[in-house]
Amino acid sequence: MNILSLITFIPVAGALVILCLPKEAEKPIQITALIASGLSFVFSLFVLYAFDRTTPLMQFTERFSWIPSMDIQYALGVDGLSFPLVLLTTFVTVLAIIGSFGIKERIKEYFFWFLILEAGMIGVFEAQDLVLFYVFWEITLVPMYFLIGIWGGPKKEFAAIKFFLYTLSGSVFMLLAILAVYFNTNPHTFYLPDLMAANANWSPRFQILVFLGFYFGFAIKIPAFPFHTWLPLAHVEAPTAVSVILAAVLLKMGVYGLMRISYGMLPLGFHWFLKPLIVIATINIVYGALCAMAQTDMKKMVAYSSVNHMGYCLLGIAGVTATGFQGAVMQMITHGIITGSLFLLVGVIYDRAHTRDISAFGGLAVRVPVYAALMFLACFASLGLPGLAGFISEFFCFLGSFQAWKIYAAISVLGVLATAAFFLRMMEKVFLGPFNNKWAGLSDINARELCSILPLTVMTVALGIYPKWALDIMNTTLVHMANMFK
Amino acid sequence: MLEHAYLIPLLPLTTSLIILLFFKEDSHSPAPYLGLAAMFWCFVQSVVIFYGAASGASALPYEANWTWFSFAADVAGKGFTVPMPIGILIDGPASVMLVVVTLVSFLVQLYSLGYMHGDPRFKRYYAFLSFFTASMLGLVVSSNLLVTFACWELVGVSSYLLIGFWFEKPGPAYASKKAFMTTKLGDCGLYLALLLIWAKFGTFNITAMTVSAAMPGYLSTAAATAIGLGILFGAAGKSAQWPLFIWLPDAMEGPTPVSALIHAATMVAAGIYLVGKTYFIFVHSDIAMGAVAWTGLVTALLTATMALVAYDIKRVLAFSTVSQLGFMMCALGCGGYTAGLFHLTTHAFFKALLFLGAGSVIHAVHTNDMRQMGGLAKKMPFTFATMFIGTLAISGIPPFAGYYSKDMILEKVYAYNHVMFYLLTFAALLTAFYMFRMVFLTFVGDDRDHEKHHHAHESPWVMLGPLVLLAFLSFVSGFGLEHGGLFERLVNFKLPEGLVPETEAPAHLGLYVTGLVVASIMLSWRLYGRNDFRLAESLKSRFSILFSVLENRYGMDALFLGLVAFCDRVAKFAFWFDSSVIDQFFVDSWGLVTTLLAELSALVDNIFVDRTVDGFGGLSMDAGVLLRSLVTHGQAQEYLMYIAVAVSLFTILILSR
Amino acid sequence: MTLTHYLTLGAIVFLIGIFGALTRRNIIGILMSIELIFNAANINLAAFNRFLHPQGVAGQAVALFFITIAAAEVVVGLALVLAIYRNTDTVYVEDFSLLKG
Repeated sequence: MNILSLITFIPVAGALVILCLPKEAEKPIQITALIASGLSFVFSLFVLYAFDRTTPLMQFTERFSWIPSMDIQYALGVDGLSFPLVLLTTFVTVLAIIGSFGIKERIKEYFFWFLILEAGMIGVFEAQDLVLFYVFWEITLVPMYFLIGIWGGPKKEFAAIKFFLYTLSGSVFMLLAILAVYFNTNPHTFYLPDLMAANANWSPRFQILVFLGFYFGFAIKIPAFPFHTWLPLAHVEAPTAVSVILAAVLLKMGVYGLMRISYGMLPLGFHWFLKPLIVIATINIVYGALCAMAQTDMKKMVAYSSVNHMGYCLLGIAGVTATGFQGAVMQMITHGIITGSLFLLVGVIYDRAHTRDISAFGGLAVRVPVYAALMFLACFASLGLPGLAGFISEFFCFLGSFQAWKIYAAISVLGVLATAAFFLRMMEKVFLGPFNNKWAGLSDINARELCSILPLTVMTVALGIYPKWALDIMNTTLVHMANMFK
Repeated sequence: MLEHAYLIPLLPLTTSLIILLFFKEDSHSPAPYLGLAAMFWCFVQSVVIFYGAASGASALPYEANWTWFSFAADVAGKGFTVPMPIGILIDGPASVMLVVVTLVSFLVQLYSLGYMHGDPRFKRYYAFLSFFTASMLGLVVSSNLLVTFACWELVGVSSYLLIGFWFEKPGPAYASKKAFMTTKLGDCGLYLALLLIWAKFGTFNITAMTVSAAMPGYLSTAAATAIGLGILFGAAGKSAQWPLFIWLPDAMEGPTPVSALIHAATMVAAGIYLVGKTYFIFVHSDIAMGAVAWTGLVTALLTATMALVAYDIKRVLAFSTVSQLGFMMCALGCGGYTAGLFHLTTHAFFKALLFLGAGSVIHAVHTNDMRQMGGLAKKMPFTFATMFIGTLAISGIPPFAGYYSKDMILEKVYAYNHVMFYLLTFAALLTAFYMFRMVFLTFVGDDRDHEKHHHAHESPWVMLGPLVLLAFLSFVSGFGLEHGGLFERLVNFKLPEGLVPETEAPAHLGLYVTGLVVASIMLSWRLYGRNDFRLAESLKSRFSILFSVLENRYGMDALFLGLVAFCDRVAKFAFWFDSSVIDQFFVDSWGLVTTLLAELSALVDNIFVDRTVDGFGGLSMDAGVLLRSLVTHGQAQEYLMYIAVAVSLFTILILSR
Repeated sequence: MTLTHYLTLGAIVFLIGIFGALTRRNIIGILMSIELIFNAANINLAAFNRFLHPQGVAGQAVALFFITIAAAEVVVGLALVLAIYRNTDTVYVEDFSLLKG
């Protein structure tokens, strides 16, 4: 069996094992989930080791016919664009699973859905066939629906349904677009490389329509203004680990699709949409940061900061330059790591204090120094402090789009300022100032939580100081992508 | 030694991480000594480098680059993989700055042994100090503007951490945030400048940029203006220039040694240093140069006037710092590259001295308010003597250091623009006035608070040692560095043709100014030096409006607070828009419409479709009931008869065919 | 004696059985009538065998099989009748209308 299939389906196997275990066997269930996700991560490390950084082509490909009558294929492959995301997914999932050991109810179902979710997400990044892509894309919805709807906060049902329906309505348009593409190629195919080669025959009008179909699906997932309002709600209601996955991986599926499919397959439609795209990116950045500034709930604030950060991805993509693409992909990785740790950290305080209200705290740095230090680090990374991961990616996004969109980039810089503003305010109100005696019994972060957060923190610092490690994986592919239509 | 220069920023960084991660928090921890040792090593290295440069033994500039990472970049519209170097560039200014930073940092760490003794977060303090020094040194030696910017931001963070060091108090917590945000606002300008630089030069390497910029016609005036203004805005944030100077007075909430190191000698000088480092861009644009000059001048004047009415000893020093930075900025803008950086150097020594002296005073009387001091000269003779030297130096009395550098600045400004010269001279007079006011109020006259005066004591030698050394430097660094044109040889920038001023400053300009300065000091003596404040009070009451304007810092704080409040208002509006208009109006109401449609179709379904189906079912039921009642009575024989009749009938039917 | 005679006898016995089953009020009587119907069929089987396939014995064998079955059936039937009588004190069919829908 090919290694990519292994990475994708080991979680499924783990999920099936969990189904066979009795639901009282909490420890075995947790360990099975950990082992399954861990194995998946280890295999993706193998791929990292064997990954050829000098070729822009798809690697570790596997391809065989799935439904021959419609030429639907089971085709997987990774390149410098998708592999970092696969690695991010497997890495963050392991940590999220460690982070969810605190879940107390319906453990069996929880971990079952979690592993299925992982398989779906990995599949999205690997699929080379549009139907396969669509299948994986939709598979992620179901576990997410249950994870939010069962283990979520007070308004969990509403949030889950809203998330599900909103995303699904986007996917419907995507399905239409996929079918349109299928019927407009000769011979009919869903195989992505073939479609990319075939796009020269498509009229601009057709490309624009198909682009819009795909864009609708992707924009909701990213989430791009004005389709972003499901995100804060879903994040606030979702349990911690699910928020982590949602922010760290799920949102990236949209950006990935935009780069892989919209840009690679529909160049004319993509270029037609550049102007709106940069406007949307700017709105995402500035408006997202402003909305975050108005929050009193820490988790909601981090959620809106995600809107802001995904705006940088869009900004980079809208530059249509190698640097911009690099910024976008790097931003996906760093945002995944940083926001992942931010959500985990917010979860830690929520577990103890049962509130996330920023103004309910005060002076906590005295009581919980380790936690405060980790939070400071994550916040500074998120606001783009050099030496931590967020800076380089953000800078590349700006650098990449500045040539083409000077004014928009200049406006977006204000978003950076606003980001700093709300993070600093949060830190001041929660950790600094006079100690609020109400929290005298608060305990510092424990070993299990540290296990789930520390790897992310280490990666935040490591990628900030030495981004070469990550950049080298993507360089060739992204240069090739940028030169594809020049 | 130059080939090991990269260790100068790395060593304090390592030290800081080691202290932070591996040392325990207790008052006897060896952490400070580790920090001191690392700092001393760096200092020795820097001195060796400086000595080599000064004696001409080593050829400057020295540059060494390593590849940091490679990234996908666009060269002439095509994507390529381009390396991003990280490296060190040690030129004349850097060699001077290295000495200044490492020396002041070392002395401040030494001083803190006494000042911070017994603080519950002693170890963390040293870790932060080391981290700050590392970033500052990185900023000084970096050969790559991106790395410079990175260090620039890290310096800002260390400043944030150190201002907010006593974060349990609301004051420092707020001040640290204010400082970070204000400098961050400036950094936005620098950020844009970096983007422009990449767009224009395609590199961040300073040497390569200098070479490109020197090519005629390479850098258009417009581009140079845009880049220059961006850098200036960033520098204004970090060096607390108008209009972003609001953070520095609040930053005095931090521990006093920190104020001495970061907010007097080194970090706030980074802005000046950066403008110096990118001077080759500024010289291509008259507008950018003019903006630098006027920013500096306005800052120097405004903050000097604010210092006149301040009673907090550290605030007076903070205002004076900003004012002196304005001098340097103004000098740079007037083409006085050497003069600006010279003042930067000397100022670092005497301002660090003054702050540490103020720290010594505060340590003794436990208050910042000068109204509660007075007559401390007898109690603290060493502190008084050293601070007095510092005050003479900053006021520009020959032969102290400040005289030489300030004189050099005024000469340059005179040649550039007469009006600016007079205004700047006025600022210099104000400097002398308020500095002596501070000295008189603190050390001279009667003790105004007997309780505090009684408990006052001279500081321990670990604190006085640095004071004495700095006082010595404040005395000699002026003529020492100017001697034989040493500083000019090390730190020089050859101005392009158009910028060299045609007029020369008249001879003995410095002496005239010194005369005025002395007069200003006399005035200060008259008002504050003789235990008789009636004149000062009457002036204050006569010009009360002016005083309140000054005390409110020309409303700049209020302006920025208003700006923040406005941003909050906008943020609230944005969130309202998001949740009410987009989410509830568009998204949720879309859901509502769908739900209503569903209800409607359910209704139709129930009434028409389902009723029809049910109707058919009911019909057959009714028919069944009818038939049943016709034929069955439950009698077995009856059924049998039916069967028999039916069989007979079928038989007859079959047989009859 | 031709086949017709046997068939006629079988038909007469069958009709007597049918008549009895339709008209008797007593369950025992009905059971006896049903036996008559069985035996009419047995006569027919034996006659057909004798005249159409004289070399075989299948008809007689099936007739014997029927007789055995009929005996068993009567046992069950009488047991049922007995049970009914014990419970309801009557053996007249018009008293039962349990099948009424």
